Amino acid sequence: MSDSAVDISSLHKRYSNGTIALHDVQLSVPHGSVFGLIGPNGAGKSTLIKSLLTIIRPTSCKGKLLGHPIGHQATLAQVGYLPEQAQFASYLTGRQVIEYAAGLAHQSTSQCRLRCQTLLEQVGMSSHANRRISTYSKGMKQRIGLAQALIHNPQVVFLDEPTDGVDPEGRMVIKQMISSLRNEGRTVFVNSHLLSEVEQVADHVAILSQGHVVAQGSIAELTRKDARYEISFVGKLPASLMNWCLERHMEITHDRITCRAESAAMVQPLIDQLRASLVIIREIKEQHFSLEQLYLQVLESTRKNVSTAP
Amino acid sequence: MTQAFTILFDSLRMLRASKMFWISLWISALVALSYASIGFTETGLSLGFGIIDFHLPFLRSGSAEAADFYRLLFTDVIVRFWLGWFALVLALISTCSIFPQFLQAGAIEIALSKPLSRTRLFLLKYLGGLSFVAAQTLLFCVVAFVAVRFRLDVWAWPIFWAVPIITFSFSLVFCVSALMGICTRSTVFSLLGSLLFWALTLVGQWTEDALYKMAYVLPGMGLQMDFLAGGMNEVDPSKSADLQRTYQKVNTLVAILPKTRECTLMLKRFIVFDQTHSAHSGRDFNLLLRGESDSEMEKLMQQYEHRHSIAYLVGSSLVFELIILGIAIRIFHRRDY
Repeated sequence: MSDSAVDISSLHKRYSNGTIALHDVQLSVPHGSVFGLIGPNGAGKSTLIKSLLTIIRPTSCKGKLLGHPIGHQATLAQVGYLPEQAQFASYLTGRQVIEYAAGLAHQSTSQCRLRCQTLLEQVGMSSHANRRISTYSKGMKQRIGLAQALIHNPQVVFLDEPTDGVDPEGRMVIKQMISSLRNEGRTVFVNSHLLSEVEQVADHVAILSQGHVVAQGSIAELTRKDARYEISFVGKLPASLMNWCLERHMEITHDRITCRAESAAMVQPLIDQLRASLVIIREIKEQHFSLEQLYLQVLESTRKNVSTAP
Repeated sequence: MTQAFTILFDSLRMLRASKMFWISLWISALVALSYASIGFTETGLSLGFGIIDFHLPFLRSGSAEAADFYRLLFTDVIVRFWLGWFALVLALISTCSIFPQFLQAGAIEIALSKPLSRTRLFLLKYLGGLSFVAAQTLLFCVVAFVAVRFRLDVWAWPIFWAVPIITFSFSLVFCVSALMGICTRSTVFSLLGSLLFWALTLVGQWTEDALYKMAYVLPGMGLQMDFLAGGMNEVDPSKSADLQRTYQKVNTLVAILPKTRECTLMLKRFIVFDQTHSAHSGRDFNLLLRGESDSEMEKLMQQYEHRHSIAYLVGSSLVFELIILGIAIRIFHRRDY
């Protein structure tokens, strides 16, 4: 089996009205990781998840899910899914919703019963489990939705906006569950527009914009790409040193030099130059982009590329 | 098997949660109880478990006429009007939301993300809808079965033919409801579309029925309808060839439509109580009530009731149903959710 739980080499979705929802998407989700798919509304995040689960038929798709071609039905037995704004039959109780999902996933009643109770406790719904869904708040429905996605012990779990409409306590529970799923070696694929939450739980992310994957990788790698070191100094820089910095595309303000560098080693020559020029160094600060800054920067550059394209 | 059980069990839960299901069930129970309350005495008929007596000597207790009356009441009145009409309309109102609800955004995705083919999912959901009518009819038949045992001292097992036949008749309309539900995802359109279609098929069947009577039954009795002056004229039976040709054309046209009404009425051919099968079996219910006997007319009526074979009725209706289901499955299969 490959190292990737999801490995898409090309996925294209064009709707019958001509709209291209996904354009030659390439994506790799490592086993046992939490993968965050972020992007603005209408970017194609839900379409991508649904395409992987054959809820939407991709126009063309080359890729594998858990080592099997996408669309292989038996593989879906190892996949859990919580759709965005999940709707459950109002005549069912929370427990029955979970049992129903278990039945559809080929789980026997005896297999399901014990796990159902455990999951209900994990999502904090055990005391409400026998109430009808119609009496639940949105957040409670979302918790039940998460439990039904996990009832059959899936290897990969797709969560589409899992914290949508959930109160802060519920969000914490969901984040903890995502972390514990990763600790159990499962792969979690999270769609969200809440970047701070994705940053807290995800190891890897992909940014989707207008149907294109515009960036992907581990959060550490992506944010490191734009890592900078800011060196504050006292006094004035000698002209020769100023030229040396400008030649190396460093930014200079009246008391600060900003140097793009992915590691501390890359900034050492600058420090040597400053010391040699007897410039007093007041502070050296490592600056990383947050996921939010990275996201906005990537989207901005994508928009510029689109607007300048012939 | 687990998946099939899960979906069918869910349908049962859905039925239990439906107010219309309980309303239909109570009305069914009342109708069945009313049927059971009809009894036979030494002098004739009694209603309301003996509260009201009618002096009808030809329907006295133990007579073959009484047995046939009780059977015909079931096949020609209760099946025809309650099970074949009102119960089916109530069932359609209750079940028309099955597919639109199932296809709701946020609900269908969960089912489709499971290791279950869309065809199987559709068919199981469809069977779940049919179980509504099957459950209602079964309950009704159990009460009727007990009533017949009590009134006629007969174990009338053929009564249970009503369960598959009525369910089949309902399925001929429900498949249209399912198709509309899949296409429009609207409960209102699903209901209106299927009711409209049902009405269309009934118009077709009534036309065919009326034309048959005019082309074969009336001329067989030496009568012909006078369309200009009204009433009847006497006629030579051999001079109805034009009407017969028209009938044949209409009969060919309606062949493509499902025979909801005729399939329901087909039950009369199945429900025969062997032990009480009298010389009057198969008689027209109205003639029996009037105590009249006209062997020529009885023969014509028998020919009229058996003008279409069971294989034709079931076969042509089944072909229609399979085509509609095929279209619905294809749409369900190809659509993105």
